[in-house]
Amino acid sequence: MSTEAEEGGTVGGIDISDSVLIAGNAVALFLLPWVLIDVFGMVGEVIDIAVGGYSGLPSLIIIYGIVVIGYNLLLGYTGMLSFGHAAFFGTGAYVAGVVSGTTGSPLVMILAGTVVATLIAWPIGWISIRRTGVYFAVITLTFGQMLYFWALGPGAWLTNGDDGFSSVQTGQLLGTFELGAPVVGGIEFLSVYTWEYLMIATLAIVALWTANRILNSPYGLIFEALGQNQQRVSFVGLDVSRYKLMAFIISAVFAGAGGALFIIHESYIHPNTAYYWIQSGDFVIMTVLGGAGSLVGPVFGAFIFEYVANVISGVSLPVIGSIGSLWRIVLGGVFVVIIWAFPKGIYPGMRDAVIWIVDRVRNRGGEQG
Amino acid sequence: MSAVQELFSILLNGLQLGAIFALLGIGLTIILGTMNFLNLAHGALYLIGAYAGMLTMRVVTLRTGILQDYGFTELGLGWGFLAALVIVPTIGFIVGVLMERYVAKPFYKRPHTDQLLVTFGLALVVEELVKQVIGGNTFQSTSPDTLFGLQVSGPIQLPIVGAFPRWRLIIILIAFIVIGLTWLFMEKTDWGMIVKAGTLDSEMVSLLGIRIGRSYALVFGLGAALAAFAGLIGATFETVRPQIGTQRALVPAFLVLVVGGAGSIRGAIVGGVILGTVLAGFQQTFSQWGQIAMYALVALVLVVRPQGVFGSVEVEE
Repeated sequence: MSTEAEEGGTVGGIDISDSVLIAGNAVALFLLPWVLIDVFGMVGEVIDIAVGGYSGLPSLIIIYGIVVIGYNLLLGYTGMLSFGHAAFFGTGAYVAGVVSGTTGSPLVMILAGTVVATLIAWPIGWISIRRTGVYFAVITLTFGQMLYFWALGPGAWLTNGDDGFSSVQTGQLLGTFELGAPVVGGIEFLSVYTWEYLMIATLAIVALWTANRILNSPYGLIFEALGQNQQRVSFVGLDVSRYKLMAFIISAVFAGAGGALFIIHESYIHPNTAYYWIQSGDFVIMTVLGGAGSLVGPVFGAFIFEYVANVISGVSLPVIGSIGSLWRIVLGGVFVVIIWAFPKGIYPGMRDAVIWIVDRVRNRGGEQG
Repeated sequence: MSAVQELFSILLNGLQLGAIFALLGIGLTIILGTMNFLNLAHGALYLIGAYAGMLTMRVVTLRTGILQDYGFTELGLGWGFLAALVIVPTIGFIVGVLMERYVAKPFYKRPHTDQLLVTFGLALVVEELVKQVIGGNTFQSTSPDTLFGLQVSGPIQLPIVGAFPRWRLIIILIAFIVIGLTWLFMEKTDWGMIVKAGTLDSEMVSLLGIRIGRSYALVFGLGAALAAFAGLIGATFETVRPQIGTQRALVPAFLVLVVGGAGSIRGAIVGGVILGTVLAGFQQTFSQWGQIAMYALVALVLVVRPQGVFGSVEVEE
């Protein structure tokens, strides 16, 4: 109980303040493209297997990271398993795309996508939280699937149906900065740090900070308490459904923002990536893989998921040959093993291992001293 | 087409879709009701059934996949539908028993969400394995021309409805025979009695000296066999490709489960037919809204009657 309560604001059992959290993640986000593209690329050259990332990958990872930071507030803390969060991701993306026809300002697109996703999350959440467990999973799935079939059929006038939505006209950031241009021009090394990456990374830090604030507030503690024992929370006199609805809506805000960023990044979206329930399932996989119930764990999961999906899938091994679409087997297999053996996920698992080692070292030091 | 004719045609198509939904739903519901285990890999069993059925019925030409890379261009037994009717449920049963032993058992005591997640991962793995080994392309459906010397292909003239594919009528017939046998097995035999008793109080059943673990394996195998059988039926009138498990089987099975009520065979049958009829009805009238209407109905049932049409208790949460 006490260790669970500490999560969120702690790394390795040490309390960290907001400023440290922000600074640490800013450094991590700055290093991500460099590690992914340059370091992995160099490793790839040495071992003669292309394991380096391409220039768009860091943005994609962080976009999904933002989605799962929010999703984790729902699954990891309140323990509600939604199989329909693609509804908010997809809505954010489509709305941002449609808005771009009127104004191409990326910030307006993100705002519009997030607001509409939040607005539809309100009624969907209001209905869904009436059920728990499996029934909650199925009811959220039905809403996601309704939107999916709507986007494919009756909604095709807006979403362009099965052909996918491609008329995205993203303009300049704040009317001056070209998203695709590097922030610092002229230096080869810094060319991956585009305005788009800066914008996405900044939003990721805002997302992390917000999630951390929520989790460390009394409000967030109630989310955690809901995950542990709903009945007791209601005995204390709190309105359980109000907090569940808020957790649902807050997670949808992140998903909507992620969807809007996704369409800015990709300039294209299809109902399969927007609304299909497998997409919702991917959010679940990322969250659980990285570690539901830890602040940055899910982002780690998004990294692994997207890295495997986009880089490992293209790797050609000496004996086996091209991995290609085998990546889903690898990922599915890893996922099964994780659920089986490390229900807390990779990130908390590693953290526990580090704590264990540190404790061992300390204890030994104590004996000697 | 007159309104009456339209209505009867919808009802027939609804029965046929509903029969398959019911077969899937029964498997899922007895596994949930007996072992309190949620199986997202249920669609994978349908997928296995569809491929096993196709390969038993005919010889297919492989275009991609690992087998094709190694020089196999043709795969399949070509023994026809009747052989498949025996072989496919048997394969399903064996897979189900193995799944119970090695996948489900370690998760009986874990939360439902863990069960959902691990079987979801398994479903993805099975789908990908099929895609890799047999190939990701779409295979045409196969239905027999004659059974026991009787013609089963081509249209048949029915009163009121008019021309209707003969094979679809046969499907309705076979599916409801299997559903009926399952119902008899669960309601009228000692085995079924033990299973039902185990649902209510498994501890008491073991105290009476009955090996409850065996009946668990039996129920899981039975549920899997029904799903595989549904896959076989599906392969006779719909195309076969690796995605059908998650697209056509898994989600409908869960919808039937919540509409019919967890653990109720009767509920799964009624739920399957209701959903099938709604889907068929909208597909014939406002085709774009068919799927949306089906999901909306499920959401409505979940809100208004969460225990389902026939369920008496909600699943423990």
